[in-house]
Amino acid sequence: MGSSVSHAAASPPSIPPPPPHAVGLAGVLPPKSEEKSEKKVDWLNLPCPVPFEEIQREALMSLKPELFEGLRFDFTKGLNQKFSLSHSVFMGSMEVPSQSSDTIKVPTAHYEFGANFLDPKLMLVGRVLTDGRLNARVKCDLSDNLTLKINAQLTNEPHYSQGMFNFDYKGKDYRSQFQIGNNAFYGANYIQSVSPHLSLGSEVFWLGHQRKSGVGFAARYDTDKMVATGQVASTGIVALSYVQKVSEKVSLASDFMYNLMTRDVTSSFGYDYILRQCRLRGKIDSAGCVAAYLEERLNMGVNFILSAEINHPKKDYKFGFGMTVGE
Amino acid sequence: MGSSVGHAAAPPPPPPPVGLAVALPPKVEEKSEKKVDYLNLPCPVPFEENQREALMSLKPELFEGLRFDFTKGLNQKFSLSHSVFMGSMEVPSPSSGTIKVPTAHYEFGANFLDPKLMLIGRVLTDGRLNARVKYDLTDNLTLKITAQITNEPHFSQGMFNFDYKGKDFRAQYQMGNNAFYGANYIQSVTPHLSLGSEVFWLGHQRKSGIGFAARYNTDKMVATAQVASAGIVALSYVQKVSEKVSLASDFMYNHMTRDVTSSFGYDYILRQCRLRGKLDSNGCVAAFLEERLNMGVNFILSAEIDHRKKDYKFGFGVTVGE
Repeated sequence: MGSSVSHAAASPPSIPPPPPHAVGLAGVLPPKSEEKSEKKVDWLNLPCPVPFEEIQREALMSLKPELFEGLRFDFTKGLNQKFSLSHSVFMGSMEVPSQSSDTIKVPTAHYEFGANFLDPKLMLVGRVLTDGRLNARVKCDLSDNLTLKINAQLTNEPHYSQGMFNFDYKGKDYRSQFQIGNNAFYGANYIQSVSPHLSLGSEVFWLGHQRKSGVGFAARYDTDKMVATGQVASTGIVALSYVQKVSEKVSLASDFMYNLMTRDVTSSFGYDYILRQCRLRGKIDSAGCVAAYLEERLNMGVNFILSAEINHPKKDYKFGFGMTVGE
Repeated sequence: MGSSVGHAAAPPPPPPPVGLAVALPPKVEEKSEKKVDYLNLPCPVPFEENQREALMSLKPELFEGLRFDFTKGLNQKFSLSHSVFMGSMEVPSPSSGTIKVPTAHYEFGANFLDPKLMLIGRVLTDGRLNARVKYDLTDNLTLKITAQITNEPHFSQGMFNFDYKGKDFRAQYQMGNNAFYGANYIQSVTPHLSLGSEVFWLGHQRKSGIGFAARYNTDKMVATAQVASAGIVALSYVQKVSEKVSLASDFMYNHMTRDVTSSFGYDYILRQCRLRGKLDSNGCVAAFLEERLNMGVNFILSAEIDHRKKDYKFGFGVTVGE
């Protein structure tokens, strides 16, 4: 579905003769010279856009670290080049819904065992938790441009399992995706680069069992230094984000989300310092929530993690630390 | 109360050895054995600090959440301290599960330290006030005052202690609110062993009690035992394995509630950090790490897992200042 925009074959403009010797104000101002270094936009060779679901990925990476409360220990062991196992232990407090407005926490613990198989053409990821849940992900490159992805989450409780099939087609300067899920979910999305920096996309979905359907539009503008995205959906959600890369080590991100149905507005601002030995992400929310996440590299393959989240209006505090061993 | 023991003069040297006596090492009188001078026994450890090595190793201040302490010295004698704690505290719940509620408090403290006078005060945001005074009335007599004042009526406490330090004994007399009177006495009987006893009387509840304590310590180990008429038997043993490592174990039996607890712990004091770990007979495992990041900046990690109740407490914090 690409459109070829024929660019008027412009003959390169002839270089104007050098201006006469500058007089008066013209002598002070810098000379007007044709910007010979300006690249001509080659509309036939636009870059391939970011996939539709990853349109906000920079903002999500900076603003939504995996905050937790308690202890986390991850151990990844590579058995050979393609196959690795992972063991993950979590012990801490989880919130339980309570009738009163207070926050109630109950100590919980779980162990997660995972296996990963990574091939250039095939990727298999599986995770099993002690509470009976199973996550599975498959990514298979059927051809150079066509990719099949399968996501499944199986639980013990009936009617809570989910599965989704995705067919991704990657064109020259566009991507399209078709999704089939359980509960008769059908979706499709399409994103196209319209200029070297701007890409626009849209998606439709239909939920069979509840007879709901929706349409959404997304736009993404990115340069070397910044990324700005906007997303609108017929479910009444407007989401905007902006990420600015201030320097090699520092980037700032901000995020805005408005839910028309629930009249809920959230805005957040965060920073992301990527230093040699550590990565520090902090964010502050319009809901009065302040969070920080630190990953420090103690040794080759050994990372120490500190996570903190303070919700001032609800007076809820979540602090955790952990360790990640292995690549 | 020392006794003097007269020591006999050294015997003449033995004749040259024959037979088996040549193979065995010669029996030499241990001239290097120190004569026990019962007039110069060391002063014993105060009665309430009888088990202090075991308590220091086995009972670190475990917490859950975030802790931040800042101590600022204004001059040589006076310092202020700010302490913030944010985390989950357990609330008693009707069901058998553990319920935690997030709490936070800020504590402001002031310390005045003089060779003769020590004043410490702490105020918390929940309205509690702790105050401690220690004053040396003379070289041997010390007055200590401890007070805890709260907003809730009838929960405040205060205690006056008069400590007398003798040559090889210590005596203490205590007076507290709720008509509490107590006295204890501890005496060194050998260079390594000290014995003590205490009595107390609780006026309002017409209770009284008596207790005995013993402490045996050398350079390498400390063993203590305590028995009280309230039905508590407490034993502890600390062994200093090396300069950096010491192991401790603890046993407590409550005759009234038939409760037995035994714990075993280790204490590694290294250059940059101090790591204390302990394992309990209640299925509780705990560890406490203090790491020195910089001059005056300490990073603390605290972890406690109660396997039987499935309760997990993890916390970290930073301590700034001396």
